[in-house]
Amino acid sequence: MRTNLVRGLLLALLTSAAVLATACDKDGGAPSDPRARVVDAWKKGGLTPSALTAATVPVGKDCQSGTVGAIDVLLCVYPSPEEAKAAEEPGLAWVGDTTGAAQAHGTVLVGIADRKKSDPSGRTINQLMKLARN
Amino acid sequence: MRSIVLVPFVLLAALAQPADAGRGKQVRYIGIHPVPKSHGGGLCYIEGPHVHIFPANKLEYRDHVDHHYFVGDPVAYGYDGPRYAYKGHHPIHVHAVVGDDHEDVEFCYLDGPHYHAFQPPPAVEADFELVGDAYFYVAEPPQAYVTARPAMVKVNTIYKPLVYTRPVIEVEPPEGWIGVRFAAPAVVVERPAAAVVTPGIRAEIAVPMPSISVDIGLGAGIVVHDRPGVYHKHKHHKHKHHRHKHRKHKHKKWKRR
Repeated sequence: MRTNLVRGLLLALLTSAAVLATACDKDGGAPSDPRARVVDAWKKGGLTPSALTAATVPVGKDCQSGTVGAIDVLLCVYPSPEEAKAAEEPGLAWVGDTTGAAQAHGTVLVGIADRKKSDPSGRTINQLMKLARN
Repeated sequence: MRSIVLVPFVLLAALAQPADAGRGKQVRYIGIHPVPKSHGGGLCYIEGPHVHIFPANKLEYRDHVDHHYFVGDPVAYGYDGPRYAYKGHHPIHVHAVVGDDHEDVEFCYLDGPHYHAFQPPPAVEADFELVGDAYFYVAEPPQAYVTARPAMVKVNTIYKPLVYTRPVIEVEPPEGWIGVRFAAPAVVVERPAAAVVTPGIRAEIAVPMPSISVDIGLGAGIVVHDRPGVYHKHKHHKHKHHRHKHRKHKHKKWKRR
């Protein structure tokens, strides 16, 4: 009886450890939420993204938008990388008639639109896209 | 009253406009490329797929998976990143440059010394020779290169007036360089005294008769035949002849080659 109890406790401990392990990244600090991971990568790269707010856009159901400098950003999370990839076209529609990009990185679609023409050389957009990829 | 009369015309005018009138159309790009002066000029440094609302020209861009990929010299437009010198025409392994799996080999038709932001990928290292810090293409080009060449060499007319620091390549081109094998002479020269200097090859020809017709584009070459006094310069399929005395002879001679 006592043995069963110990076994149950051990199992619960192991399950909790596994859950914690999947929630944290290898390096310990990175968030497990794919969207937060992108924002974190931007911050670590020296960029200053604003707080993201829920966005109702025809790109996906779980989207949040904000800015990095004067550049509009949209981060949508999908159940699978394939669905994120398929959202690139609607993502480009969100970009609209301006310079921008919409690229899937894993389960996240990263949309970037320079509507205020604040990045004529595209260097910030390039940095945003490259950091999101990592 | 006047307003009522104008209404049908206004409606007609509105219908005649396309749905997206007044809006720029998205154009897809991949990799760095110049920005037209009308849109601010300079260079766009976005390496991945992206969109702009300005079009790309046909001479400086190639299609890569429905995106425009720039094959010109970015330094001419103010590029300030790492650069590699090339001389003459050469292939560009676009998939290696942009880092995707869609194999795509395009050709750069820029004559003479120019820059790119990339080196030839290791997989095709043998097709290039690095001499004097410049890459020379020394492999056999595909037929597609030859076919497209007459149209694509027109890209040089874009670069000719551009003022920028081109690479200085003073070494002799290696054996097998495309600029030697495919440099195209276009004109038969009747024993002239001529010094022809092209970006790729320096050829000095001394002949007594002062009759010359030289139509040398950038990177065009000159072929000196065994027959004394007959110099046959050929530029693709376009022949230009001035003050030529052996019209009947010249094409037969060229065809035999």
